[in-house]
This record gives sequence, structure tokens and C-alpha cells, in this order.
Amino acid sequence: MILETIDLNGIQSLYEISNRLNLNDVLPNKVTIWKLRNNNPLRKSYVNNNIKFDEFDALIKITVEMSRYLYPYIRDILQSKENPEKNSIIWNDFNKRFIELIKERFNLDSMRVKKLLNQTKNDEVIIKSLLTLSLCVSNQGYQKLKNFLLDY
Amino acid sequence: MQNKISFHQSSVTLEIMGLPDYSNNENKDQISIISQWKLTIIDKPLIEGKVEHLGPIMNAFFIYSNLLIKDEIPIYESKLIDIKAENLDMHNILLKSSKPNVKPLTLKFGNSLLLDTINCFDQLNESSKVRVNKTGAYNTIPKKVRIGLNNKVKFLNFIMPPLISICSLILLSYSFIYFYNPVEDKEKNELINLK
Repeated sequence: MILETIDLNGIQSLYEISNRLNLNDVLPNKVTIWKLRNNNPLRKSYVNNNIKFDEFDALIKITVEMSRYLYPYIRDILQSKENPEKNSIIWNDFNKRFIELIKERFNLDSMRVKKLLNQTKNDEVIIKSLLTLSLCVSNQGYQKLKNFLLDY
Repeated sequence: MQNKISFHQSSVTLEIMGLPDYSNNENKDQISIISQWKLTIIDKPLIEGKVEHLGPIMNAFFIYSNLLIKDEIPIYESKLIDIKAENLDMHNILLKSSKPNVKPLTLKFGNSLLLDTINCFDQLNESSKVRVNKTGAYNTIPKKVRIGLNNKVKFLNFIMPPLISICSLILLSYSFIYFYNPVEDKEKNELINLK
């Protein structure tokens, strides 16, 4: 969701990256990616499909690759949060769009989603997610992200 | 002539100076014997040191970043460097010199600078041209997790069967409430007593 907040054309980018990484066998089309995303219990369209190991692997690879090319934007968002007096426009825009996306796609009855919608309380979740993504942009990013997720 | 290899990430540059190990038949553009390193950060004082400082400082940043994204209190303290979080966006870094009579240097890093620095160290770690003692802060699944995962599975296997059986027993017994009619039972008892 964080990556999609930055990249307005998120699903298309995800699909193109999966093609570039030769993951067509695991993720042959956009519908497969959409189905995998629906495994998130916070989503309105939540469906409990068991994610296979190679699908989990492919999603990590795509996330790392996407974070790599979005790194300058992620950095700018975090920098904008550090100096709200100087420049808070980027952070505010990002937060606004993030909330809009959550309202559009997530189950608003869930307490966890309600917490995400609170603009004063969602800072920690957003910052930690942005930090996690931007710490995984190196060549060993795949292994790092996998370890972070397993350690969560 | 010394070799110099630089790693850049946005506002941070890491320079490594040193020589190849010719006794190991290494290329002339490689660095295996590091004589000095410099970390240049825009708007911050220059940080430099010898090879023995590089490993501990890299490790400090890697461990701190790990603590930062988990829900733990992000504090790292060592002989050479202390890193503490001021808030979600700012981090205080205290660099202690190994030379006597040199005051410690305090730096304030925002998340963006912290990320740039860590990414420079990552590039160094992954570079084939510089040989440093590779840090494996991320590369292996932490012991805690490995143990945690195994324990979780074992614990679930142990606790789930009795738990399910107790739950089903409770549910089944509750269903009998619907069959049991206390008024009818009372009438039956009365009838028996009459007899």
C-alpha cells in the first residue's frame, strides 16, 4: 500500500517489474497479483488463499525492486517529515493519499484500519514501513526484507 | 600509490583508501589493506578513521536500523559509538574518539541521512573491489527468530489438539441445554412421587 501511495500507477508497475524479473511463471497476470494482495485481512475484498512459497518469494522480489526505484521519493517523504516547518507539503500529500487509498480499499470496520486512518497516530506505522522498504534497496535487499518479515 | 574507492548515496559519500594484497595475486585496483576511510555528509563534519573503527561503526548502524524498525527501543551503545533515537524522525549519534583529549562528536541524523549512510555501508559490504570483514547483521535469520518459529510450531502442535477437544466438548454440552426442559423434568418427578 505504501508503494502504491507513492507510485500512482502501482499495479501496472508491479506487473511490469514481475515481467522484468522473469516471474511470469508465478505471477502470469495482473489478476494473480490482485488475488495475492487480497490475502491481506485488512482489505475489503479479503479472501483467504494460501500463499505458496514461490508466490511469497516473488512478492518480496518485486517489493525490493520497486523500493529500489522509488528510493529517492521515499527519502524525500522522510526528509519532509523531519523538517515540517521547512517543507511539509510532500509528507502531507503522501499521508493524505495514503488515507484516501485506505478508505477506498480497506475494511473500515476493523480497529486496525481505524488506527491507520488517524492522521496523528499513523505516523509510526508509515515511517517504519518507509524505513523498512528503503533499507532493502541494496543487492542483498531480498534477503534483508525476508528476514525483516520473518522477524515481525 | 594508494587506491581510492567511493560509494555514494544522495547526500553521503564513503571513501575507502588502501592497497591491494599483492601477495594474494589481487588486481591493482582492489583494496584489501584499508589504511583510511572517510564519511562525508552534506552539512555535517567529516568523519574519518582507521580500519579498526570501520567494522564497529558499520555494525552499530546495521544493528541500530534493525532495532529501529522493530518495536524495540532503538538504543545502541559501544566504546566507539552511541546511537539513540530522539523521536521517530531524529537520531543522536555520539562518536567517541580513540585518541586522548579529543572531545566526542555529537551529530543529529534525520531518517533520510541515516538511510543514506546505511546504504553506503551496504554498498561497501557488497563491493567486490573492497575486502572488509563482512558484517552479517541482516544476512542470517536472527537466532531469536529461528528459535521463535520452531517454538511457535511446537507449542501450537502441543496445545491445539487438547484445546480443540475441550472447545468441542463445551459446545456439545451447551447444545444439550436445548434438549433439557426443566419444567418437564419437574412434572416427571412429581408424577414419580405421586406413584
